[in-house]
Amino acid sequence: MLDNLIHAALIMTTPILLAALGGLINRTGGIVNIGLDSMMLFGAMTALIVAADNGSWLLALAVAGGTGAFIGGLMSLVITRLKANEIIVGLGFSIVATGLARFILKSTYGVSGTLRLPDVTRLPVIDIPGVADVPVLGAMLSGHNVLTWFAWGMVPAAAWFLVRTRAGLRLRATGAGEKAARSLGLRPLAIRDASTLFAGFMAGLAGAYLSIGLVGIFNEGITAGRGFIALAAFYFGRNHPVMTALGALLFGFFDALQIRLQGRGFPPELVQTLPYVMVIVILAMLAWSAKKRNGART
Amino acid sequence: MTQSLALKAGEARVRLGARGITRRFGALTANDQIDFSARPGTIHAIVGGNGAGKSTLMRILQGMDQPDEGSIIVNDSAVTLSGPAEAFRLGIGMVHQEFMLVNQLTMLENLILAREPVSSLGVIDRAAALKAGQDLAERAGVTLNWHQRVQDAPVHARQILEILRLLYRGADVLILDEPTAVLAPQQIRDLLVLLQRLRDDGRTILFISHKLGEVMAISDDITVIRTGRVITSGPADETSKAQLAVQMTGEMVRAVTPRRAREGDTVLSITGLGLTDGRGIRRLSGIDLSVAAGEIVALAGISGNGQDELVEAITGLSSISEGNVALRYHDVTGMSLHQRRALGLAYLSPDRAHEGLCLEASITDNVIAGHHRRAEFLASGLLRLKAIRAHAEAQLDRFGVRRDSAALPVSSLSGGNQQRVAIARELDGSPALLIACQPTRGVDIHGIAAIHQCLLEYRDAGGAVLLVSEELEEIMTLADRITVLFNGAVRGTLRRGEADVESIGRLMLGEDA
Repeated sequence: MLDNLIHAALIMTTPILLAALGGLINRTGGIVNIGLDSMMLFGAMTALIVAADNGSWLLALAVAGGTGAFIGGLMSLVITRLKANEIIVGLGFSIVATGLARFILKSTYGVSGTLRLPDVTRLPVIDIPGVADVPVLGAMLSGHNVLTWFAWGMVPAAAWFLVRTRAGLRLRATGAGEKAARSLGLRPLAIRDASTLFAGFMAGLAGAYLSIGLVGIFNEGITAGRGFIALAAFYFGRNHPVMTALGALLFGFFDALQIRLQGRGFPPELVQTLPYVMVIVILAMLAWSAKKRNGART
Repeated sequence: MTQSLALKAGEARVRLGARGITRRFGALTANDQIDFSARPGTIHAIVGGNGAGKSTLMRILQGMDQPDEGSIIVNDSAVTLSGPAEAFRLGIGMVHQEFMLVNQLTMLENLILAREPVSSLGVIDRAAALKAGQDLAERAGVTLNWHQRVQDAPVHARQILEILRLLYRGADVLILDEPTAVLAPQQIRDLLVLLQRLRDDGRTILFISHKLGEVMAISDDITVIRTGRVITSGPADETSKAQLAVQMTGEMVRAVTPRRAREGDTVLSITGLGLTDGRGIRRLSGIDLSVAAGEIVALAGISGNGQDELVEAITGLSSISEGNVALRYHDVTGMSLHQRRALGLAYLSPDRAHEGLCLEASITDNVIAGHHRRAEFLASGLLRLKAIRAHAEAQLDRFGVRRDSAALPVSSLSGGNQQRVAIARELDGSPALLIACQPTRGVDIHGIAAIHQCLLEYRDAGGAVLLVSEELEEIMTLADRITVLFNGAVRGTLRRGEADVESIGRLMLGEDA
């Protein structure tokens, strides 16, 4: 029972974590990426199509990441070069992506809403012999697919990148002090665009995880707003990779819990809202505690 | 290092200069045939009031703007600067009034940003970075906490960082724009020592200022600019403060004539005020202070000795731990700022750009803010724009605000005129008490005299003023009584006549007068 829940929580954490790390890098560079969900959705769709057509999961991941990066790049250019408001543009991308996905399904595959393809190559699952049977540890380490391992590997990598590398320092400077960065000869807009490309890539992978990792089909509602939950995760983590991972884990846990509660007589429509309700509750609690801490000066 | 400096400067007689630089903006000639020559290894001051054309000249010397006529001289030859990057290649760097630092990064990260020492794969070599920072600091004779975030660092440390970063990036000509505007007296002395040290190392410093005391203290040469023209340029030891003041303003600055204060009722009365902050640190203790009608009481002290906290306690911007604040015999201790204002409190903020004014809003809106609920300006929930505009114009005329149109944003005005807008608003409706914090910060010599006149006229009409200032000269000029704060407590109070700079200075340092 506990093992099952741990395993399920980790499984549901992966897509949130992937997108959240991308969004974290993006936000560090100065853009709050509201459009993560759109990149995730197209990552999910292209991954399924490539995995069915070609049979290589690696190629499917590359195409999904590339598609996400492409959408991210478009969004970034609209924000950095045309000076459009990032919130409005991000929301616009999310809405357009849903409509476009529906259109592609209808026009190309003649289906509405859900795309099932034969012979979809799924992401390989790594079972660790020996460990698999150990209680708790087995649920944590064994039976997860390659993207889950990749996502967790990216957590320390992102932390190291931000603090220790030249590119990481310049990224932080761009987000926190664009004017100062420009006065020193850096190109803040280009740096910002690069960070959005990365965010799109990561969100695309998150989408691929949902379609060819988890369910093996594509549905226009497959992301179920996880791109937005990823936003909550890096807000929760205050842009720190480890704390962001904890945030993703927390929301992943509620997502898994919600799925398990559905079979136990609770009204499913209501139970499904659990992760989203928790996002609001947790962010409100964070804001409240921050307010209390700064309470000395009102 | 010394060798490379010598190489850059060569045997030049002029390290950085201007020949006939003219820059026009429409009908306005901001720079008119500007000539000056900064010799290598000297401190050259550029002196002028607000709007004299200093900023335009600096932008041109940085390559951020191009002159219509004339040329920039670098190492005796005329050059064209395409931008700050090219100026930097010629060794010319600038510390702006508004620091170009990233507040969330550490001091060290700001130092190396965009010139990071890296090993392979773009990984920052932190040991090399730290060593570079420490070497620079040691050579400059300063200590910095390199791992502190800039936002936690005191303002003088940030300024030193800006200067060291120019050195780190290889500049040997440093342009400093009003560098002492943000510093306390002791920090100003330290900065001047640092600048002299850098000069003695062979660097050339262009020091832009309107504080004549500092200019006379450290400059080798002085160029005075007024209305875009060079009035005089020559060695510092051939001129004097008084002479510079005349050249800067074009007329003898009318000295304010303080009149004896009339006795009046007590307007502000503070008893036993104390404050312990959220971290348990004692900020204020046992403060007794009163200000009567027709009196200017000055709060002196080195910044950070409780002035800000005391002002916030009086205005109601923050709450206090013990004691009482009374306005015109009403206990206002628990009242909001709004209620206190209704009792006749007016507050001139030290932070004009963020708290005192809304820079993007129009001049009219800034004049009327807070008074907009008055019956003559508000009819059944709607603003009476005609009456508001007429009233704003009258106020602006009364306080001599020079403007194109009151509909323009207040940011279109010079610093001195902005401050007059704030004063016009605060003195509107004849308040009983004016808290005036750093009323002439960033204002030129001409504007200072006008603002002082406003405060004195208000006092002579029966107003009470609590003046908080870091300018001792200002305090000595205006105050009828001077209260010195030290470590959050009143260290002593002196009457006009018995106060001199030395005794105030001793009190500021916590000694006896």
